[in-house]
Amino acid sequence: MDPLGDSILRTRIALPTRPAAYLRRQRLDRHLDKALRTRLTLINGAAGAGKTLLAADWAAGLPQPVAWLTAEDEDRQPGVFWAYVLEALRACGAPVSGAVGVPMEAARVDRKLLAALAADLDARQQPVTLVVDEFDRVTNPEVAEQLEFVLHHAGQGMRLVLVTRTEPLLPLHRYRAAGELTELRGAELAFTPEEAVSLLELHGLRLPVDAARGLVDRTRGWAAGLCLCALAARESAAPELYLKEFEADRSAVADFLLAEVLKRQPEATQDLLLRVSVLQRFSPDLANALTGRTDAEALLVELHRANAFVEDLGHAWYRLHPLFGEILRAHLRVRLPGLEPELHRRAALWLRRSGSLPETLAHGAASGDWGFTAGALVDDLAIGQLFTGLRSGDLDQLFAAMDPDATGPATELVRAARDLSRCDVERGLSHLRRAEERLAADPHAGAAAQLSCALLETLAARLTGSPEQAEEAAEAAARLRREVPEHLLDRHPELHALLMTHLGSTRLWAGRFEDARAALTTVAGTHGEASTVLPREESLGHLALIDYLNGWIGRAERKALAGASEAERFRPPEPGVSGAGTGIGLLVLAAVAVDRDELSRAQTLLDETAPLPSATHDPVIAAGRALTKARLLLVQGHARAAVEAADPGIRVSVASPWAAGQEALVVSAAHMAEGRPRMAADVLQDVSGDQPACAVEAARMLLAAGRPEEAVGLLDSIDTGGRIGPAVTVRAVLVRAQAAQAAGDDATAHRLVAQALLSARREQLRRPFLDARPWIRPLLSTAPLQELAADWLTPAPSRPGEPAPVDGQPSPLVVELSGRERDVLERLARMMSTEEIAADLYVSVNTVKTHLKSVYRKLAVNRRNEAVRRARELGLV
Amino acid sequence: MRYEIRVEGHMSETLTKAFPELGHVKMAGQTVLFGPVVDDAHLYGLLARFQSLGLRVLEMRQLPEGRAD
Repeated sequence: MDPLGDSILRTRIALPTRPAAYLRRQRLDRHLDKALRTRLTLINGAAGAGKTLLAADWAAGLPQPVAWLTAEDEDRQPGVFWAYVLEALRACGAPVSGAVGVPMEAARVDRKLLAALAADLDARQQPVTLVVDEFDRVTNPEVAEQLEFVLHHAGQGMRLVLVTRTEPLLPLHRYRAAGELTELRGAELAFTPEEAVSLLELHGLRLPVDAARGLVDRTRGWAAGLCLCALAARESAAPELYLKEFEADRSAVADFLLAEVLKRQPEATQDLLLRVSVLQRFSPDLANALTGRTDAEALLVELHRANAFVEDLGHAWYRLHPLFGEILRAHLRVRLPGLEPELHRRAALWLRRSGSLPETLAHGAASGDWGFTAGALVDDLAIGQLFTGLRSGDLDQLFAAMDPDATGPATELVRAARDLSRCDVERGLSHLRRAEERLAADPHAGAAAQLSCALLETLAARLTGSPEQAEEAAEAAARLRREVPEHLLDRHPELHALLMTHLGSTRLWAGRFEDARAALTTVAGTHGEASTVLPREESLGHLALIDYLNGWIGRAERKALAGASEAERFRPPEPGVSGAGTGIGLLVLAAVAVDRDELSRAQTLLDETAPLPSATHDPVIAAGRALTKARLLLVQGHARAAVEAADPGIRVSVASPWAAGQEALVVSAAHMAEGRPRMAADVLQDVSGDQPACAVEAARMLLAAGRPEEAVGLLDSIDTGGRIGPAVTVRAVLVRAQAAQAAGDDATAHRLVAQALLSARREQLRRPFLDARPWIRPLLSTAPLQELAADWLTPAPSRPGEPAPVDGQPSPLVVELSGRERDVLERLARMMSTEEIAADLYVSVNTVKTHLKSVYRKLAVNRRNEAVRRARELGLV
Repeated sequence: MRYEIRVEGHMSETLTKAFPELGHVKMAGQTVLFGPVVDDAHLYGLLARFQSLGLRVLEMRQLPEGRAD
């Protein structure tokens, strides 16, 4: 299985073939043999210095396997680079264990994956040699840093050979000082006059050493220059005279020689070389598609045999030597001006037939034929890749260059997708409508295009809060799936996952929690592929929100964290960057933190979601965010600001019952806070028992407004249906307790408060008791209740070293600490710093901080020394 | 910013077209390219382009502003 869906992958990880005219130089091979004993080897030299062939020839002669990777521009993205490294290791027969995993996103790679890779290499009997050719193309310093990390942690299990034109951004001085660096630089790669004689001889040219000396001076011993000299001279009438003239000439060497050699080639060969210069790599058939002839195979074999311009990648694929490719492109522009777009178009057409989508799109874009390019994406059912997966960033960028005048259903669909992915509903919808009109007018419109429409329809429905539209689109999609070829559906699981997530989100907005859950569960339960990371994280986040709204805050937190860790496997927890998802998980965690009275944590989490476009445009998320923010402001005593904040300010087709109910609660609580109990109760008079959380709060307001019968009546009307969790039931019990106390029934009040404390402490649910402070405080100071509240709700009684008595159950603290949290806690007790813990556990500092926060919360402490003390008291460490 | 870049050897007319944004003049076994450089990214991009075309950069310097070509 190819992680990048990239059929030309194998040409990147195959050892390049040496041409017949390759000259093996003993002195370089001997020096290079030291690479087997040092951890890092550098082959540094100008383009055409013969670096690649030297490394390839040396590697081919080794008894042990060598993993080879030819870097390309896309490898500046860490995820792509490491996916290729893993493939290269696999292909050379030194695969890493499956437990290491694969990168799931182009722009990022998880540090845990790198640590696991290093550990896997470190554990080997025999070191693996990894050669990265053209490392200068990997311009991202992050990749260099990651490579250094893996090399450092792989111990003696890895030998890294970097072949590059520019010095890499690794701490070379450190390796040099430790005697762990082998360096072959430009001067050493240069040909000596004696070597030049041998090389020219391989090209059928006999020259005395003295004559060669002049040539070496002129070319500075440059391998490519010498080869070109040989080729040019061989074709001329008087080779020696020709070389003399070249020595005296003052032209730029590569430029001059290439032109010389090119013009001596037959017309057909020249034409072929110029045309294929637009390609990264080519097979004879692809080259034929560009020339319109059928002679490419013979010409390429001959060019490679003569070591002229062309390198053999194996499997009948070739590429131009990068240096000559560049110069040939300059010639192409002069000799065949204006032909480049047409060549890209032919390449795109050929690649489309051969099934390589990323390359098809790249050449399609370069040709400027956007109808074709967008069509290729849509017909391949790959439109979901604009939203999620390894290529989403690249694709988005590629289509950002789309000509605004380009028309056609596919271009409109791509525009709609890009607008909707930025939550720009208005523009997205107008493009979507145009696409649909065109598709409707076209009797041959493909099912893939229509299915893409349905996906975007569900997203538009989600963003506009339109449940009917979402259902219709989902039904249409279910029909269309039967018409789309099976292999396309299998290749693009993200399409269905995204669609079901949008459907679930829309149902959730409409308050149909169980229907929403049904749709979301199908996504959350699927297996971990890179392409579906985003919808899985989002589905878990939405499921967490449903739990939260039903009052199950512990469950909600677990799901939100599961979603976050799902996402974190593929990227560090950095909000506000592209692909950071919609932030729904963070919101749920913030809401849970408010219920637990962890206000600064709630604020931090809320702030993290602020930069995301979904925070203000996606109805479920915007409403969730507005309400959490408002509730936080309320408990901080800013009643008016809370009322303002509670309005999410979004335009939707259908109001959401829970969002409206929760907003009414905030308004009501603000009235209450400002001493207007009657108004507080009035705001909530339409709230019914269908919205348990709202109804309970409404009952509390009624009670405060002096209407106890109505309050209890409302509580009795609540449809519990077994799906209501502690955050709601505890509040309900407290309202009943308050009513009982007001009626003078202290015994009942005591019993109910005890019941509430018991259910609340398992969830660390503090907020309802703090809201009830005025009447509940005296009760909490009575003996049995004091014990139940001690430690988590009120300060611990002064009995050090003894856990609070519990109700016959194991202490929830012990039950709740996860294995990872325990790991962190143990290291904390050993006085390790956060950074040290991170390094020790092979996780990111952020991950350790996340674990620490939850350890603090579970132990109800704020600082590390308190955490350690508390953990010792509880016998946890 | 204006820059002047000297590369080794006389560049062909074809190859100078790979630097459409720069003027050029050939002298004493060198080609001098000169013209506006937008920013650092452009500068490094130019260096990479010289390298990828097999050209040897001998000297590169920033010109005082306002100087006529």
